[in-house]
Amino acid sequence: MTPRERLGSVFVYFTLAVAIGLALFPFWWMTVTSLKRPVDIFSSVALWPQQITFDNYYRLMRDYHFGPFLMNSVVVVTAAVAVSLVLGTLAAYALARFRLRFGVRRMALYAVLLVRMLPGILLVVPLYIVLAQWGLLNTRLGLILIYAGLNTSFVVWMMQSFLEEIPRDIEEAAMVDGDSRLTALRRVVLPLAAPGLIATAIFSVIATYNDFIIALALTSTPVAQTIPVGVSTLIGKIEIQWGPMAAAGVVGALPIVIFALIVQRNFVRGLTLGAVK
Amino acid sequence: MVAAKAIEGRESRVQRLRSGAVPYFLLLPAMLALAAVSLYPIFDGGRASLHKYRYALDKGYAGTENYISIYNDPVFWQAIATTARFIIISVSIETLLGLLLALIVARELRFSGLIRVALILPMTIAPVVVGVIWRLLYASNIGIVDPLFQALGLGTPDVLAHPTSAFIGLVVVDVWEWTPLLFLIILAGLQSLPQDPFEAARVDGASALQIFFHHTLPLLRPVLLVGVVLRTIDAVGTFDQIFVLTKGGPGTATQLIAIYAYNTAFLFNQYGRSMAMLISLLACLLLLMVAALHLMRRSSELVE
Repeated sequence: MTPRERLGSVFVYFTLAVAIGLALFPFWWMTVTSLKRPVDIFSSVALWPQQITFDNYYRLMRDYHFGPFLMNSVVVVTAAVAVSLVLGTLAAYALARFRLRFGVRRMALYAVLLVRMLPGILLVVPLYIVLAQWGLLNTRLGLILIYAGLNTSFVVWMMQSFLEEIPRDIEEAAMVDGDSRLTALRRVVLPLAAPGLIATAIFSVIATYNDFIIALALTSTPVAQTIPVGVSTLIGKIEIQWGPMAAAGVVGALPIVIFALIVQRNFVRGLTLGAVK
Repeated sequence: MVAAKAIEGRESRVQRLRSGAVPYFLLLPAMLALAAVSLYPIFDGGRASLHKYRYALDKGYAGTENYISIYNDPVFWQAIATTARFIIISVSIETLLGLLLALIVARELRFSGLIRVALILPMTIAPVVVGVIWRLLYASNIGIVDPLFQALGLGTPDVLAHPTSAFIGLVVVDVWEWTPLLFLIILAGLQSLPQDPFEAARVDGASALQIFFHHTLPLLRPVLLVGVVLRTIDAVGTFDQIFVLTKGGPGTATQLIAIYAYNTAFLFNQYGRSMAMLISLLACLLLLMVAALHLMRRSSELVE
């Protein structure tokens, strides 16, 4: 390595370190604030807690309904993602494996992408009116139905690109051996597609868990409110409870951070709608 | 570039199965589900935009009244202007920073997964949590931004309390959250560029800057466009972070169109007026989306 190259290298890693620092410091500040006592939050700017306390988390559960919020999120996300995985994978299989006529394939994929790009605010007013008519406002079922539908677009998109990558010879070999198409799908294709399916499931969980505006508009009490809505209920009071709010932020972010670490490899593909592989 | 490949299909290379009605039946449930949560709400919203609502009750057909009302509403136009300003400033900075970071990092680094996750963490967590995080940083009494400015002898800005600084504060949040997206897209674009033109230019003795402007940038243009358009579409609906940070205030300084439409519907119960705004917005958005699909298709043809 010439001195000049070495200097270049140092510059690259320095830039990278700064970027990572800027990306992560705000998380650190939130976590630290959530572990401080109220006195310490207000007393001085300290980059680590003077005395670690989990009191803020305890208060979140006791005073701010975070038990029910968490439960609602788990139920809604699990059910919605399960339904959309089934619907979406079947459709993706049709798109990846069959010759479709009348431009159906292209139309389906355009539709899927367009739905994916629609901002939530556009859908929320009419959805509110519909759910009100059906008596599904402020219910988990209402949220499940809507999230299942919305997330189907993502599953179709991701799964058809994963399924395309599985060589169909394998599947046809199984069918020559006497499997029906459905058995071949279950016995051969799905196991091969499992990594893609898992990645898709995790992205779906992240996107559904993170949604705010739909849950905000369609729920109004801890009977059905999800975590992000719960987080927002800590704001807008006359006096903000900073400690619990920071703790709520940590609770909101933690599952996503864990999932992000699990799916590292396929992460980028999911986040960029397949614009980047 | 998977996106476009998928749309174009690979009929030429891959023999697809012919199998009667089966695939259509497999597609149908998904398509119905999609229609139920997108087409239907949009059409119903279109209908609502032509009706008058009072106290959340449908008072019947009102023709274009709602559209005329928003057309004459200065607050609506202000919200549109604020949204446009927000998007143009934020997306420009994000693209520039993303490009810079990608260029610096592209050659030297084989990304370890952990570094990558660290860099893109801001865009993965819930936007509401992003709002909370920055609320904690900006807060004048417990945050870190004010002490930092004070230490530098720049006074205490109390970012979210003043119109201009609140707007800038929100741009900073958006840049923090979304630069990673542009970075990722551009980095992937850079890494898939053909190497030959660069070698040739280097052999010819071109300087790094010349290579960048004559080779890298033109080759990268399609990818840049895809990134910018995707991010722009997404930014049009920006709501969560602002709801948590400023609720559109102080005054209407940070009232983006999504916030105004939401308040119109759920604070003032004027569903019709709100939908008139959103249907108008959708018209512009559809143009962008068509552009996006077109670009994604083209850029992948180029990359392949």
